[in-house]
Amino acid sequence: MKKLIFFLLLAALPGAASAAVGCDLNDPDRDVARLFPGSTGYKTRYLSIKGSGGQLLLERVEKRLGDKFKGLYETMDVPYTLYDIYKGKEVIGYIHGVNQKGEYGGIQVFLALERGGTIKAFYIQKLTSRAAKDLRSKKFGTQFERLTLKDFERYSPGKPVSAPLKLEAPAKAGKDFQAVLRAVKKNLILMDEFVFSKKEK
Amino acid sequence: MNIYAIAYKNLLRKKVRTALTAGGIALSAWVLATLLGFNKGYQEGLNRDIDNMGFQVLLTAKGCPYEAATLMLKGGTGLRYMPESVVKTVFQNPEVEKVTPMLMHGVFDPNKGENGAVAAYLGVDAVSFPPMKPYLEFKQGAWFKDNKALEAVLGYEAAELETREVGDKLLIPGIDREVTVVGVLKRSGTQDDGTIFLPITAVQKLFNREGLLTGLGIKVKKEADITALENRLYDLPDVQVVSMAQVKTTIMNLVNSARVIVMGIAGIALIIAMAGVINTILMSVMERYAEIGILKSMGAMPLDVFKMIWAETAILCGLGGAAGIGLAFVTARLSEAAVRYFLPYAPNGALVALDGDISGFAFGLILAGGLLSGLYPAWRAARVRPLEAIRIEGEQ
Amino acid sequence: MANNTVISAGNLSKIYKRGSEEVRAVDGVSFEAAAGELVSIIGPSGSGKTTLLNMIGCLDNPTSGSLSVGGRQVFGGHKELSEKELTAVRREMFGYVFQKFYLIPTLTVEENILLPGAFYKAPGAKAARDVMGLLGIEKRSGHLPGELSGGEMQRVAIARALINGPKVVLADEPTGSLDSRRTEEIKGILRDLTRQGITVVMVTHNLDLARSADRILEIRDGKIHTP
Repeated sequence: MKKLIFFLLLAALPGAASAAVGCDLNDPDRDVARLFPGSTGYKTRYLSIKGSGGQLLLERVEKRLGDKFKGLYETMDVPYTLYDIYKGKEVIGYIHGVNQKGEYGGIQVFLALERGGTIKAFYIQKLTSRAAKDLRSKKFGTQFERLTLKDFERYSPGKPVSAPLKLEAPAKAGKDFQAVLRAVKKNLILMDEFVFSKKEK
Repeated sequence: MNIYAIAYKNLLRKKVRTALTAGGIALSAWVLATLLGFNKGYQEGLNRDIDNMGFQVLLTAKGCPYEAATLMLKGGTGLRYMPESVVKTVFQNPEVEKVTPMLMHGVFDPNKGENGAVAAYLGVDAVSFPPMKPYLEFKQGAWFKDNKALEAVLGYEAAELETREVGDKLLIPGIDREVTVVGVLKRSGTQDDGTIFLPITAVQKLFNREGLLTGLGIKVKKEADITALENRLYDLPDVQVVSMAQVKTTIMNLVNSARVIVMGIAGIALIIAMAGVINTILMSVMERYAEIGILKSMGAMPLDVFKMIWAETAILCGLGGAAGIGLAFVTARLSEAAVRYFLPYAPNGALVALDGDISGFAFGLILAGGLLSGLYPAWRAARVRPLEAIRIEGEQ
Repeated sequence: MANNTVISAGNLSKIYKRGSEEVRAVDGVSFEAAAGELVSIIGPSGSGKTTLLNMIGCLDNPTSGSLSVGGRQVFGGHKELSEKELTAVRREMFGYVFQKFYLIPTLTVEENILLPGAFYKAPGAKAARDVMGLLGIEKRSGHLPGELSGGEMQRVAIARALINGPKVVLADEPTGSLDSRRTEEIKGILRDLTRQGITVVMVTHNLDLARSADRILEIRDGKIHTP
């Protein structure tokens, strides 16, 4: 009895915490099947800016993003989890997540991308916001489908959204809408640096 | 020339056989040293983890822990509570040095993952809790000063997950209230890394639990009789006493039962290795029968021959034992990783704690086993009569 | 017994029982050997020559008879010597040379020669060099037995037999594994030992080697044969 209480206390205390520093899918088997219907499997890779180019890569990413990496948790050695999605032996796409600082907590933004880099699906795994329900809604998420990095070229974090991007912010979203956009652009830039540019070479 | 040099060179005659036998001994030495190191490391780690809780006895409200667990996991308020007045009652005991009240509350957050998850907040007393956890250091900021403040201190991993720094806001789902982060802890390697601490009165107010606690940590005076205190606490109505010492004992008993089995297996491995030693040395004696006869004809006394063969065993076991213990040191971290993978609970810190004492003991045991194994072959060799030995060789 | 008599055997017999049958391997052999004498024992196979040699060398106990070596009564006295006492006699008095050399394969030539010193009266490196020089094998001191010729190995065996300064060298077929050239070399070496006052008793099938001795003992059916 006492042993159980002890373990309960130990286990229950960090209710919301996991040891993850990067951004993993909570249930990859389920989430991959949902985000990529028709896929038969996936492989998981871990990449970091430090391991993929270091300071030079960081500066390039910051320049493309139009914003510097900030704070304790947005550093060069953060690991990014990349899922290569398979149908049979062929790679049909990718799923990649980034952790973004939101107004009230961390926002985990995942993009399912086709082989060419087009967004197939948008998924917020975790978010603490007054507009959480709206930001995680299908209506908000479908706005990102079919978009590419090119569509975000003229967008800079913190600035208003302008053409060609046509994205509507839910009411009460406040700063979290901007945070989500920054996360999406960062996600796309990193995918371009880690995967798509390399493929072209 | 001396007997020991001859013994060493004799082992070099059949290098593969010697290597294989020494290898067997090395493996059993490795198992033995690793197990002894694990036993020590686990116990030390457990003591450290429990000591790091800051208190030796924990009081919680009486109730079915399974129900509490289920309700906790599903979201929030099913925990049993104790009245705050229990603090005064407990303090009346002379063994008590300090107490710290705690109130835990879980809130279901539908926006964590696909199906939501519980966010837990631990209400602690700004005055009594920090001294109980002197090992907690801050990466940023400090503890809250006021028990009523809407402030939070985050464990390292909790802060990392929420990307919170000092000055940031934290939104408590369900009640839509904001708290300000005033401190982010450094990694401590304990469960506190994943904890969100709030001032206890604030938690009581936020979740309408005024005057209630879920736990009371009790620090006992150094020379006090914990058992006597616990016995008295058992008499308190509606509380459960969780003794860290008892938890420690329970866990250690579990580990010890497993350890007995594993040590038994290590013992068997040792016996098998020693059987290999007897076989190898005996075979070597048989192969050198005539040679031993010649040595006796040269003037070797039975004791000289006995010492020579016994020295071969000692050298073999010494080399194998040293190699095995060296291997244990090299693979300690790997062994630890394997243990953590398989055990449901493993304390933080080094699980396999190898030191001079353990190495010495393991080496001594291997050597003693080896010397015991060498007795029979050495005795057989000492009994060889020169003429018979030469004659047997001649017949061959 | 003359003053320089080193070996004195009186009526030595060795009888084996094979079922109900008695086999007299050596039957009442008496002889003496003086210091610096080279004695060869010859005879057909199974005649008892090796058995006699082994008894003289205290490697085997006679069934009856007496033996004294270097003035000390070994067999036939009031008290039977223990294995330990016999070992002491062996190491003080005798050096043994066998047909099969019995060198330790993992020890070098020098180490093989110094081997008796591990158990008794450790001679120094100088003593080893002296005896290697005597036998002409000083250049091979660091080699292992596997790198030596048959003749060289037998020289090493003889050197080992000499290292503790024995009074008697017993050689059982010392040239049995050697060709004629090497046999001549060993013959010369054994003669050289006698010049230093060492008594050499050897069993041999080689008549040429046997005739080089000061005295020949012919054994037939366990008895000394006098033509």
